[in-house]
Amino acid sequence: MEQLQLQFPSSDFSLLALILLLPLVGAFVNGVFGKRLGNQGVRAMALTAVGGSFLLCLVAFAMLVAAPHGHGHTATRFTWNAWRWFTIDGGTSAVPLDVAFSIDPLSGVMMLVVTGIGFLIHLYSTAYMKADPGYYRFFAYLNLFIFSMLVLVLGDNLAVLFVGWEGVGLCSYLLIGFWFNDEKKSSAGKKAFIANRIGDFGLLVAMAMLVYYAGTLRFSTLEESHASLGQMRQLWPIAGLELPSWLIPTEPIRASVPTLVALALFVGCIGKSAQLPLYVWLPDAMAGPTPVSALIHAATMVTAGIYLVARTSFIFVQSPFAMAVVAGIGALTAVFAATIAFAQTDLKKVLAYSTISQLGYMFIGVGSGAFAAGFFHVLTHAFFKGCLFLCAGSVIHAMHHVIHDEEQSQDMRKMGGLRKHMPITHATFLISCLAIAGCPMTSGFFSKDEVLFKAFSSQIITAQKGLWVAPAWYGQAIYALGVIGAVCTAFYMFRAYFLTFWGEFRGWTIVKQAKKAHGHHAHDAHHEGEPLRGQAPHESPWQMTLPLAVLAVFALFGGLVYAEPLHLTALERFWHPVFATASTHVVERAGAHGMMLPLLFVGAAIFAVGTGAAYVVYVVKNGQPAAAFVSAMPGLHRIVRDKWRIDELYQATILGFFDALGETAVAMDKWLIDGVIARATAGIVQVFGAILRLLQTGRVQVYAASMVLGTAGIAWFALAPHATAELDSSKLRSNGELIFTAAPGHGYAYRWAEGDAAMPSEFGSKAVFTTQVDRCATKTVRLEVKNVFGSTTETKFTPCREMGNNCCARIAPSPQASTTQPVKVAPVEGSR
Amino acid sequence: MKDALLALAPILVVAFGGLGLMMTEAFGTRKKGGPASDLALGSFIVFMAGAVVSASLWAAGPEQLPGASSTAPWLIVDRFTLFFDTVLCLGAGLSALMAGGYLPEHRLDRGEFFPLLVFSTVGAMILAASGDLLSLFIGLETMSIGVYAMVGFRRGSLRSTEAAVKYFLLGSFAAALLLYGGALIYGITGKTDFASIGAAIKNGLGGRQADFGMLLVAMVLVLAGLAFKVSSVPFHMWTPDAYEGAPTPATSYMAVAVKSAAFAMMLRVLLGVFGDSASMSWGTGWPPVLAALALLTMTVSNLIAGRQESVKRMLAYSSIAHAGYVLVGVVAVIKPGSDAQASVLFYLLSYTVSTAGAFAALILCGSRGREAVSFEDLAGLGKRHPVAAFALSFFLLSLAGMPPTAGFFGKFYIARAGIGAGLNVLTVLLLLNSVIAAYYYLRVMVFMYMREPAPGAPSAIPMRSGYVTAAIVLSAVLVVLLGVWPSTSLKVAIDSALTFR
Repeated sequence: MEQLQLQFPSSDFSLLALILLLPLVGAFVNGVFGKRLGNQGVRAMALTAVGGSFLLCLVAFAMLVAAPHGHGHTATRFTWNAWRWFTIDGGTSAVPLDVAFSIDPLSGVMMLVVTGIGFLIHLYSTAYMKADPGYYRFFAYLNLFIFSMLVLVLGDNLAVLFVGWEGVGLCSYLLIGFWFNDEKKSSAGKKAFIANRIGDFGLLVAMAMLVYYAGTLRFSTLEESHASLGQMRQLWPIAGLELPSWLIPTEPIRASVPTLVALALFVGCIGKSAQLPLYVWLPDAMAGPTPVSALIHAATMVTAGIYLVARTSFIFVQSPFAMAVVAGIGALTAVFAATIAFAQTDLKKVLAYSTISQLGYMFIGVGSGAFAAGFFHVLTHAFFKGCLFLCAGSVIHAMHHVIHDEEQSQDMRKMGGLRKHMPITHATFLISCLAIAGCPMTSGFFSKDEVLFKAFSSQIITAQKGLWVAPAWYGQAIYALGVIGAVCTAFYMFRAYFLTFWGEFRGWTIVKQAKKAHGHHAHDAHHEGEPLRGQAPHESPWQMTLPLAVLAVFALFGGLVYAEPLHLTALERFWHPVFATASTHVVERAGAHGMMLPLLFVGAAIFAVGTGAAYVVYVVKNGQPAAAFVSAMPGLHRIVRDKWRIDELYQATILGFFDALGETAVAMDKWLIDGVIARATAGIVQVFGAILRLLQTGRVQVYAASMVLGTAGIAWFALAPHATAELDSSKLRSNGELIFTAAPGHGYAYRWAEGDAAMPSEFGSKAVFTTQVDRCATKTVRLEVKNVFGSTTETKFTPCREMGNNCCARIAPSPQASTTQPVKVAPVEGSR
Repeated sequence: MKDALLALAPILVVAFGGLGLMMTEAFGTRKKGGPASDLALGSFIVFMAGAVVSASLWAAGPEQLPGASSTAPWLIVDRFTLFFDTVLCLGAGLSALMAGGYLPEHRLDRGEFFPLLVFSTVGAMILAASGDLLSLFIGLETMSIGVYAMVGFRRGSLRSTEAAVKYFLLGSFAAALLLYGGALIYGITGKTDFASIGAAIKNGLGGRQADFGMLLVAMVLVLAGLAFKVSSVPFHMWTPDAYEGAPTPATSYMAVAVKSAAFAMMLRVLLGVFGDSASMSWGTGWPPVLAALALLTMTVSNLIAGRQESVKRMLAYSSIAHAGYVLVGVVAVIKPGSDAQASVLFYLLSYTVSTAGAFAALILCGSRGREAVSFEDLAGLGKRHPVAAFALSFFLLSLAGMPPTAGFFGKFYIARAGIGAGLNVLTVLLLLNSVIAAYYYLRVMVFMYMREPAPGAPSAIPMRSGYVTAAIVLSAVLVVLLGVWPSTSLKVAIDSALTFR
C-alpha cells in the first residue's frame, strides 16, 4: 500500500488514467476489429477491459480508504490532471479548463458501482446476446458506455463531467436503438436523445453561469468559494436593454445566483434521471436489449442526475427554493410513476416505471438535504433494480425459447408458474422484490426508510435574508407522498412477482399476429389463440445466473453499511466530509426528534400492506378483484394503462405545436420564401453573379480596374475628414460633466459649439471638449473638423443624462434624429 | 558577428540548403525517373531543418543573442519573426512533399520547381523579418518572383501560363503602389526603417502641415499594396485564376506561405509605421478601412465560393474568405494587448495546416487523366476510396471550423479578439459568414458520400504516393494537436506578438 501511495501521489493520481483507458481500449478494439476477432475474442476483450478496470478501481478505492484523512472538513481527494484543455473568459478573469479527474469518497463508491455492476452485466450479456449478429457492436457500445460513465463520475470539473454526460447519452441512444432495423426501437432511441438534449441545455446554462459568477468549474474550488456565490441578481429588466416604459416593473425582479444555477442544473438532472415532466423517454428505452436496461436505465446512467445534485450539494443547499423543487418533483414523480406501474402488463415496463418512481425517492433524499441517504438509495437501487432487470432478462430469454415472439415474451399474462422452471431466477427476483418493497432488514428498507425519515425531519435553512424558505408542513407533505408511493411500490412489484412466478404457466397459448389483436384496446382476458406445445421454459446458463446471485446477495445485505436504526453508519461517516459544507445548511425540524422509531414501524407497515394486498388480490383471489376493478371503472383503468396519456398530451400540445409550427413554416417557405424571397434572392444573386462573372472575365485589364476602384475607395475614406468623438461619461451621473474627445487624425483641426450657438471662427487644435448636462435633459454639442486638404465636416451629439428612472426614454426624440448620435447612459450597476 | 549569424540561422539554413539542392540537381546523376522524388525529400529536410532551427531559437529566446540586433532594422530577429519562420517552413515543407507526389504523376517532373520553392520561401522569411522599407521590398520581390514562375510551371498549359502572366502583371502593379507609398514616406520623413518613421509620425512630422496630406496618400497606397498581397476583395481577382492555373502544390504554397508572409508584413507595417493614435483611430485611420475590406472579403468570396463547380477554385475562394477572417483579427489589434495579434498568429498556423492538408488530400483524390477537378468528379468517392475521401472531409471540416479541429479554435480566438476589441458587428458577420462557408465545404462531402457518379461521366481515381500521404498525415496530426491542445500554441502565439505602444 505504501509503495502504491508513493507511486501514485494524491495530486498526480495517474492510476485513474488506467481505469479510464481500459474500457476505452476495449471499445476501440471491439468496435474496429470486432468483426475479425470473432465472438470469443470480443468476449475476452470486453470482460478483460471492464474486469481489469474494476480491479484497478478496487485498488484505488482501498488507497482512498487507507489515505490519511484530510484536515477538518475537506474530503480526501486524489486528482489526476491530464492536460490543460482551453481557457475561456469568465466574468472577472480567464477560466482555465483542465481535463482532470479525481476520486473522493462519493465518486469512489460510484466508480465501484459502475465497474462492478458493469462487469456483472457484461458477463450476463455474453450469454444473453450470444445469437445476435451485432455481438461485437454491442460490446463496443457497452465498453464505451463504461468509459463515458467513468468520465462522468471521475470528472474533476463540470466541463469534464459534461463530456461524460453527453457520452453516456450517446451510448444510451446507440444501445436503445441497437436493433435499428426496427423502426419503433430506433425512434425510441431518438426520443431518449431529444428528451436528454432538453435537459442538457439546462446543464450548459448552469455551466455558463458558474463560469461567469464563480470563475471556475472545478468542484473543489467551487466548494471552497461557495459562499461568494450567494448574492442577488437582477433578472428583469436586463441592464443596458432599452425597453418601453410599460415593460419596466416598479420593483426589479431578482433571484439569488445559487437558485438560478441549481435550477438550471436540475433541469439537466430531470432529463437524465427521467423525472416529471421529461420522464417519457425511459419507458420507451426498454426497447433496448435487457442488459442495457439493467446497466444504463436502472443502475448507473439514470442516477447521474442524483450524482450531480450530490456533487454540487453546496450550491443546492444555498437555495431552499431549489431544494424544495428537487424534493417536490421527486415526490410527485415517485407517486405518479408508481400509479402507472399498476396497470402495465409488460414486465420490463413495470420495472421501467418502478425505476422512475425510485429515482423520485432519490431526489426526495437529496432534495431534503439528506445527501448521504439519497445517494445510498442510488447504491441499493443499483443492486436490487439491476438484479430485477437481469431476472426479467432471464425470464424473457426463457420465454423467447418457448414463444418466439418478442412482444409476447415480455407479457406477464403469458407467464406464470415460472418458479418451478427457473428456481435461481425466482429466488433472486423474490429477494430483490423484497428489497424494493422495503421488507425490513433488506437494503431497500434501510435506504428508503432513511430517505423518508430525513424528508420528514429535515429543514433547509439559510442565513441570507430575503430568500424563500419552505414552510414547516412541506417536509411532512413530501413524506406523505413518499409513503403512498411506497405502498404502491410494494403492491405492483409483488403483483409482477405473483403474475410471473406463481400459478400455472400460461404461455402454451399464444396469439399470432399479436399486434393487430391487441394494439391499443387490449384487455386482461385471454385471446383466442392456437395452442402451442413445446419445450418448457428452462433456467438460464451460469453466466446469467451468477450475476443474479451476486446482486441478490448485495440487495439483501447491502443495507448494513448504512443502517441507522441498527447504528451502523459506516458509509455515512465515509461520505461525511463530502457533504460537510452542505450539511451546515440542514437542521432537524422542531418536533421531529425521536420520531425515528415510530417511522420505522410505518416503514414496516408499508411493506406489509402493499405485499399483503398483492397476495390477496393475485394469489388468494386469483386476480378477481383486479378484474372486478377494471370492469367497474374501465375508463380509469384505460387511462392508467395508457400512462395517463402523457405521451398523447405531449403529442397534442408540444409536438403538435411544433408540427403546426413546422407546417406554418412549410407554408411560409412555399409561399413567402420560395415564392417571393427565394425568387428575389435568386434574382439578385443571379444579377450579382452575372456582374461578377462579367468582371471575372479573365481580362487582366478588368482585374486592374477593380484594384484601381479599391484604391480609390480607400482614398475616398482616408482623404476625407471624419468628425467622430469618444464620450467619457463616467462623471455624468454624479455631477453632469461630460467629456468629448475628438478622434485624432493626421493634420486635423477642430472647433466646437454647444446648442445652437455659432461655431468659433477659427479652427484650433483643441480635441477635448467638456460640457455640463442637466438631470434628465439632453444637450446638443457640435463638432466640426477640417483636414489637411481644407475640407470640413460636422457632427452633432445629443447625450441625455439618465437618472435611473428611465426618464431619457420619455423625452421625445429630436426632429433631426437621423443626423444625431443620441447617447444614453444607463444607470450604474451595483459592483460585483 | 557570430551571434548575428546564429540569429539569421533559419534564413541561412534554408538558403544554403537550396543552393545545395541546386548543385545536386545540376551535377547529380540519376539512373531512371525524374528528379522530383529526391529533391522533394531534400527540400522537405531543408525546410524541416529551418523550422527546427527557428523553433529552437524561439525556445531559447532571441534576446539571448546580443549580436542579433546588429542586423536590425533591416532584419529583425524576434519571436514574431521566428514564429513566422516556423510557420513558413512548415507550409513550404508540406508543399514540397505534395510536389514530390504531384509532379511525377502529372508529367511535370522537372527539378527547377524545388529551388524556386526554397528561394521563394527565403524571400518570405526575409519579408516576415523586415523592419525597413528596403528589405521589405527585397523580401517581397524575392518571394513573388519565385511564385510567378511556379504558377507558370505547367508550360504546356495555356491556362497555367495565362495565370502566371496575369499574376505577374497585377503583382507588379501592386508592388508599384507599395513602392510609391514607401517613396512618399521616405520623402516626408527621410527615413526608411519602420521604427524611425513611426516615431517621426508620432511626433507630428515636425509640425509641417503640408506633409500630412502626403502621408495620407502614402497610407492609401501602402494599404492597397498590402491588400493585394493578402488577396482581399476587391484586390482579389487574380487569386482564383492564379490558384487554378498553378500546379496544386504551388497553389497550396501560395494559399499558405505567401499569405502568412503577407500578413506578417501587414502587421509589421501597420503597427510599426502606422502605429500612432491618429493612424490607428477607429474614426479616421486604417482600422475602418481594413474592417470594410474584411467584410467585403468574407462576404463576396463566400457567396462566390458557393457557386463554384471546381473544387480547386472553391478552395481558392475559401482561402480569400479566410484572409477576410484574419483581417478581423488584424483590425482587433487596435485594442492594446497581445490577444488580437496572438489570434492572428494562431489562425495563420491552424489555417496553414488545414489548407495544406486539404490541398494534399485533393491531390491524393486524383490521378493523371482522372483528376479531381469538379464536384462531379468526386461523386461516390466515399464508397470507392474511403481513405482519400475521409482525409479530404477531415481537412474541410477543419476549414469549416468544426470542433475539435484546429480551425475551430482559430475562429474562436479571432472572434474572441474581435469581441474584446468591441467589434461586435464585424464578429457577428464573421460568424454568419462561417455558416455560409460551411455550405460549400459540406457540399464536397455530400458529393463524396451521398451521390453516385453519373454513368459514363469521368470520375476521380486516387493516386498513390508516399509523399502526399506523408503530407496528409503530418497536417492531420497538427490539426488534431492544435484542436485538442490549443492553449499551448496560443501561449506560443501570445509570446510571439509584436510589442507596440
